[in-house]
Amino acid sequence: MLHAEFTCSIGDFFLETSFNLGAETGVLFGPSGAGKSMTLRVLSGLKTPSDGEIVLGERILFSKAKKINLPPRDRRIGLLFQGLALFPHMTALQNVAYPLPSGREKRKKAEEWLKRMKLEGLEDRLPSQLSGGQRQRVALARALAAEPELLLLDEPFSALDGPLRRSLRRELRRLQHETGIPMICVTHQAEDLCSLGSKVIVLKNGRTLDTFPIERLWEKGSRGEAWNALGWGNLFRGTIARCGDGAGFCFTGRNVRLALGNCTNMPGEGVVFISPDTIRLLYPSLPIDPELQPNIFSGAVQETVLSGNTVRIYLETDDGIVWQSEHPAESYRELRLEPGSRVRFSVPPSGIECWIRGEAREGYSPPNFA
Amino acid sequence: MTGPLLVSLRVLALSLPVIVILGGWIGWILARKAFPGKMLLSLLVQLPLILPPSVTGFYLLLLFGKTPFLRYLGVLFSFPALVIAASVPAVPIMAQAARAGFSSVNSEYEDAARTLGKGEGHVFFTITLPLARRSLLAGLALSSARALGEFGVSLMIAGNIPGLTQTLPLYIFSRVETLNFAQAHGAALLLALAGFSSLYAVRMLEEGRGR
Repeated sequence: MLHAEFTCSIGDFFLETSFNLGAETGVLFGPSGAGKSMTLRVLSGLKTPSDGEIVLGERILFSKAKKINLPPRDRRIGLLFQGLALFPHMTALQNVAYPLPSGREKRKKAEEWLKRMKLEGLEDRLPSQLSGGQRQRVALARALAAEPELLLLDEPFSALDGPLRRSLRRELRRLQHETGIPMICVTHQAEDLCSLGSKVIVLKNGRTLDTFPIERLWEKGSRGEAWNALGWGNLFRGTIARCGDGAGFCFTGRNVRLALGNCTNMPGEGVVFISPDTIRLLYPSLPIDPELQPNIFSGAVQETVLSGNTVRIYLETDDGIVWQSEHPAESYRELRLEPGSRVRFSVPPSGIECWIRGEAREGYSPPNFA
Repeated sequence: MTGPLLVSLRVLALSLPVIVILGGWIGWILARKAFPGKMLLSLLVQLPLILPPSVTGFYLLLLFGKTPFLRYLGVLFSFPALVIAASVPAVPIMAQAARAGFSSVNSEYEDAARTLGKGEGHVFFTITLPLARRSLLAGLALSSARALGEFGVSLMIAGNIPGLTQTLPLYIFSRVETLNFAQAHGAALLLALAGFSSLYAVRMLEEGRGR
């Protein structure tokens, strides 16, 4: 469906990308500055690569050898900008109607899209009069109204908090399922990756490090390899079921057992992801907040890494599991952590994200891989 | 006074398109394009703003009087010379405002419009222009006031021929020279009002900017 292989440079940054994507959702994953947004700009035609070839379906969008370079307007590739780029001087309806051909149907079609995105009654609002989630949905409706053959999303959830993120992700999966439009989504959050993608494209320092179907993350024995490619966060595979005492749900992995907060009514084989910044270190002398009681672990500090204003701590429990936790640099100073220090930490149940195996693939035919 | 007023209005009507298109275009180039000599162009464009009108007029006089081809056009001391004289000092004002206006438009909006299947012209008229609207209108108000009040350059290259090249400012000058203050008063008041309303318009546009 999409074949992209190109090199591109801005100043002294060099991007070398190569991947294929079928009718599925690809996730461009990588740390900031890896070249994710630039890859999207090149695909959409806003930035001309110095060499290579981009083919979408039967159409050659760019080919250095054949001297083809379609302008953005002819590419039929939608791009959802990180800042959304809703036209501030147009109402929600005018924004969505913008890509539609003029004619009698224009207004009707735009209204249909707004309705589909559950935005009825907001037609005449300006972007500045909409909430963050509403703006996001208007931008999505506008991008889809252009009937693109490929939709690119640049960190589509970066401005949203937990519940909105989840509902928009669900929305995206539904749209992908209904429209069948392949999507490429940029993110540096593992959570988005698991619940959206069917193929992961890992970028680092301007290079495609690895491309693999998301299914591989579920394969036994390969966790280290695949997740190491992503390199961030705490992820465990195991079973989600009702806890022994019947109250709430619990996760049981090979060496980990966790009480879950949000993950109710989804028993089965699943994955839990704990973002490093949700982990709380415990002061030995202070009483423990009831919210932090259920999942308390103790371990030794393996390494502390200071980057900017945050410090990342690698904690090894007695079971040999290494946890990543992240905190503002000024927190936990009194604990005087250094390699070897013993520390107790808690994983708040409400901070645990989880997916049941089926959910990640909802709406897709299973990708073909050996 | 009707004669000079009509001349002035005709000059304004004919110089405005020149000011808007030329000034807007130069402003757009300065805001959006990178090219060698950009600095020089931006300085040259601003030059008529600070040069004494007599100096600008003098060089225009040489240009239209001495350059072989331009000389035979017979522009000098005719109505077209008035239009040129009104436009030259007003274009920089428009260019300055247009540059500020176009620079303030986030290029992400234009990129978004492009990926939505629109060509450059459509993007310009539906996104860039409306978003730069306030600055452009403010530039238009200021530059038309400048064009309407143009005196020095006009005197140098168009003369002060009653019924042909005598505009309101030149009319005031002639009336005062002959100590006919009553007639000068009427014309002066008219120009002062025009100037005031243009400043008022700019002020209103600036106040509405946040909305």
